[in-house]
Amino acid sequence: MLRRAEPLRFVSAIGWQIAALVFAQPALAQCTSNASSCITCHDTQGLRPVLQSAQPWHVDHGFGDLCASCHAGEPSAAVQALAHVGLRDPLADPSTTCASCHEHDFAARAERYAMAAALPKPPTNTGAQATSTSRPNAGSPANRWLAGLAASLGAALFFVLRRELGRSPKRRLGAWLRAKIWNPYLAGALLGLVVAFSEVVYGQPLAAAGAFDKLAAYPGRWLFPGSQYYKHLMSPGISWQVWLVVGLFAGSFASSKLAGEARLRWLPDEQWQPRFGPSRAGRLTVAFLGALLVQVGAGIAGGCTSGLAISGGVVLAPAAFLFMAGMFAGGIPTAWLWHRGRSKP
Amino acid sequence: MMDSVKPLVLGLLFGWALHKAGLTHYARIVNVYRFRDLTVLRFMLTALAIGAVAVQAGIDLSATARVPIPVTSVVANVVGGVIFGIGMATAGYCPGTIAAEAGEGRLDAWVGGFSGLIVGAITFGLLQPLIMPRLAQLGRFGRVTFAEITTANPWIVLIIFSEIVALVLVLSARVGMQATPAQAKADSATRQGVAPSSEPADARAT
Repeated sequence: MLRRAEPLRFVSAIGWQIAALVFAQPALAQCTSNASSCITCHDTQGLRPVLQSAQPWHVDHGFGDLCASCHAGEPSAAVQALAHVGLRDPLADPSTTCASCHEHDFAARAERYAMAAALPKPPTNTGAQATSTSRPNAGSPANRWLAGLAASLGAALFFVLRRELGRSPKRRLGAWLRAKIWNPYLAGALLGLVVAFSEVVYGQPLAAAGAFDKLAAYPGRWLFPGSQYYKHLMSPGISWQVWLVVGLFAGSFASSKLAGEARLRWLPDEQWQPRFGPSRAGRLTVAFLGALLVQVGAGIAGGCTSGLAISGGVVLAPAAFLFMAGMFAGGIPTAWLWHRGRSKP
Repeated sequence: MMDSVKPLVLGLLFGWALHKAGLTHYARIVNVYRFRDLTVLRFMLTALAIGAVAVQAGIDLSATARVPIPVTSVVANVVGGVIFGIGMATAGYCPGTIAAEAGEGRLDAWVGGFSGLIVGAITFGLLQPLIMPRLAQLGRFGRVTFAEITTANPWIVLIIFSEIVALVLVLSARVGMQATPAQAKADSATRQGVAPSSEPADARAT
């Protein structure tokens, strides 16, 4: 009897899973959050992000859930058609919009924004990738010529540097995948191409720190219900970045498993024990404090090594290089303090 | 559903690159700041130069590409960087490498690292309304690139940047610093194409 019931049970399990998938979708689309539905749909779900855009008014007012003060509309409605009822042009009548907060100097502030609004806007973009850049001279003949020059310079550089880059050993694919470590130039090239693909095709930086902000918002919102940050700026969620970090974990596991390096251990392999001893509690304390500082620093700077230094570096943004300068300014004295008076290993 | 596949695949390659570059080791990260190991520097600079060329080529080839530009806010970038550097040189972690170290089976990253990141994120959440509205306005340029600030053609900026990177890489190859004898051995084995199994059993070998 049991055997006869087996396929039925299988089919019903599949059916439930399909039903869960089908019905999960509308639930996700509903904008229910303690933030306004404006921020939930536009930014948290990324339908048309504005808080991270280049427009000065959105950046200036990004510290709070203030959309409706300027745009009106119905911030508690969960459906776009209802939420967008009564939207107004914020600059049409500053005495009703800006003046609700800046009652004395609203005219001057509105004028500044009006000037910014009069500047040619970057073309409105497709879908979710609203963090945009203007692209001067894109695709012009001069650009193509310069791209060719860059390519030939790159080729020339490669031949000059070939010796420095090290001979790439002839190796079977399997041995290559199982290697404990690659030539850093090769691994760097892989990372560079992955970052570029992510940015150009998906418009997403390769950022790790943001995932932990998203995950920490679950306990954070619960622990500090009065926090302006968790009320208006950071909502919990399993975002693009969270999946990226899950993939990052899996990629490192795959690589180290193939290399035979994946195994459970509590302490760093080298340089830690001679200096700090075999205490697990000591390592955990230092790991905790270091990770805490790293995440706070990433929050203040606007990204981490991957999300700001590399993802911002490949678009040649000053932010990335300022951040790297700060990293070394903080890291060099710290590393010296931890390891001072110790002869070279 | 589908939205999780793309970042998962990108993350997979990211984690693979981090592990193959040896960034899952405390010693390698800390020794960047002691000028004892230039592996990480080489890895980062190569990624930057190749990524920068690929991004610019992608922007020029595609009519619709919109790449994310981080906000340049001089004081926030530098202050955040200093705090980040202190933490990184202390624990030997950055957020990405904590996940990579966890994937390699390091329990200090699982227990200490992840909890530190979560507590750090909440700490920043509490600090944000107090400090960021003011701090973020100091030296703020917005979402700009060097090409936009200098109004130069992006390819010219790119060529200058990659030449500087190449120069630094050549100089670093001349200096040739290695972290520890074991790592130096592993690196030279990689360079010469010796099968990794021929490496002598040290602390890192399984």
